[in-house]
Amino acid sequence: MREITPRSPIAILLIVIVIGYAAILFIAPLVAVVQGAFAGGLEPILNTFRDPSVVHAFQVTLVLSGAAVAINAILGLTTAWVLTRHRFRGRKLFDTLVDIPFVFSPVIAGYAMIVLFGRDGWLAPPLVPIVFALPGILLAKVFVSLPFVVREVQPVLQTIAPEQEEAAATIGAGSFTTFRRVILPEIRTALLYGVVLTFARAIGEFGAVAVVSGNIEGYTETATSYVYRALNDRSTVGAYSVSVTLCLLSIGILVLMSSLRRRLNEQER
Amino acid sequence: MSIEIQGVSKSYGTHEVLKHVSLTVESGELFVLLGASGSGKSTLLRLIAGLLEPDSGRVILHGRDVTVLPPQQRGTGFVFQNYSLFRHMTVRQNIAFGLSIRRTNRTEQNRRVDELLQLIDLVEMGDRMPSQLSGGQQQRVALARALAYEPSVLLLDEPFGALDVKIRAQLRQSLVGIQRRLGVTTILVTHDQEEAFDIADRIGIIEQGELLELGTPDALYRSPQRLFTASFLGTANLLDARRSGESVVVNDVLLPMPSDGQYLNGHALKLLFRPEEVSLMRPDNTTSRYGLIGAGVVQAVSFAQPMIRVQISLTGEHANTPIQALLTASEVSELNLREGDQVVVGLRSYHLLPI
Repeated sequence: MREITPRSPIAILLIVIVIGYAAILFIAPLVAVVQGAFAGGLEPILNTFRDPSVVHAFQVTLVLSGAAVAINAILGLTTAWVLTRHRFRGRKLFDTLVDIPFVFSPVIAGYAMIVLFGRDGWLAPPLVPIVFALPGILLAKVFVSLPFVVREVQPVLQTIAPEQEEAAATIGAGSFTTFRRVILPEIRTALLYGVVLTFARAIGEFGAVAVVSGNIEGYTETATSYVYRALNDRSTVGAYSVSVTLCLLSIGILVLMSSLRRRLNEQER
Repeated sequence: MSIEIQGVSKSYGTHEVLKHVSLTVESGELFVLLGASGSGKSTLLRLIAGLLEPDSGRVILHGRDVTVLPPQQRGTGFVFQNYSLFRHMTVRQNIAFGLSIRRTNRTEQNRRVDELLQLIDLVEMGDRMPSQLSGGQQQRVALARALAYEPSVLLLDEPFGALDVKIRAQLRQSLVGIQRRLGVTTILVTHDQEEAFDIADRIGIIEQGELLELGTPDALYRSPQRLFTASFLGTANLLDARRSGESVVVNDVLLPMPSDGQYLNGHALKLLFRPEEVSLMRPDNTTSRYGLIGAGVVQAVSFAQPMIRVQISLTGEHANTPIQALLTASEVSELNLREGDQVVVGLRSYHLLPI
């Protein structure tokens, strides 16, 4: 669409406000982080990534985020399915509760996990420790990123008339075939979008993870907790380098998301 | 016998949707279940396909008791009112779906899909997506998809309900053509009388979960056994009557007993005659060719294409019952009928039914 009328002063003001706000909130910090990382040249950055605890922190972050994505993809899909296709007492309440991870402070969530799964907690694990260990981090990541797949897939599932499944059944398709060949192709893009959001959230999570993991260097330290520790230790180059890497990852995810969003919109048409 | 339904009942909570329904549909027959919305007709169809389970009773397809089988093992073809095509598949893929899950080989699949595209007259549309087709075309594809794997029976749930009137009439005829050619036993559910009369070999009237009456369109229209059927199908003139010896007493006159009426003396009966069976005469020029049921006054004359509708109120015992007559335009102008004119009402044919 082309602008035909000349811009009014108010329109110009609004544009300036929006761009200024964006510049201060996320463009300037990005520039600052990149500038800070490269302030001392390339060598200190490379040194940071030679540090085994940094490498380990990235491994923990990526592997556990991947696991959280797998768990939330399957359980999120199931949740979305149950919420759209089954009627049961308390369904509406449950539907609302799915958003709890969005509104809960991650720190409180982490604390609740310590209370529940800690040594004297109600659900204290008998064998492998959860709290101050890797399973705790996974749990925290799963918790904070839980709603994304549900909320992306649910509206698309709602547009699939139950008659489509009934038609598949009368034609002879079993429930697995129906899911794979009738349902999945319809929700594929939405599911992928939810997965990307889940991954982004899981990678970036700090609060819940910090509380539940104890940030033990070389063991339960994640990339974001490393940034936090490096800042406390006045190791700015380390903090900046890891931050830049995380930022690049996020930008990659952003690009992926916008291309998926375009596909979703096309599908709706 | 392709479809046998034996004493099937179904309730949702305390609401009885089907009350002990039994029905037999012969091989190759096109059977229409006709009923208002909420009469239970769609429920019955879903029970046959296995999309619902009956509370009691049995469903037998081609001699095989399928009552407890899931829909996948019944081999029925089902067509829904809202087409329900798979949106992400092309027309060809939709039609081939049943063949591909049966692991039919590619060449055979393609041959069959070509054949069906020809049958539904959409040869050029094979590679289109459903969203690129009109409603009528989508429903034809849905029909082809349901026929592809040669189903044991074809079940159609208000298949033309979402289409506009012109397309509906066309599609109806092409369905009948296809059904005749393939000889597949078919049940179609509709609330549309015209549709039912147009295509059915036999019609079943369903009302509040009960299958009231079965018969050919002609028999149900001319000689229904139930009062509901008589007034549900078309326009019915119904007058109180009783039998007396070899005659019927209506409105203080005697009419000969119709050949198909075997009713007890003195029993309360209804005399049914359709508007087109009514003959009107001037009081000074009556013939005894028709059964005369008395004199009346013309209340209204209106155009009901292509006929003329005349409303008459009888004088005498039935003074309050208006009678509808359908006459040709030339009959009306010959009689020079006007509102308020005195006429004598005669019946070309009539039917008796118990109350």
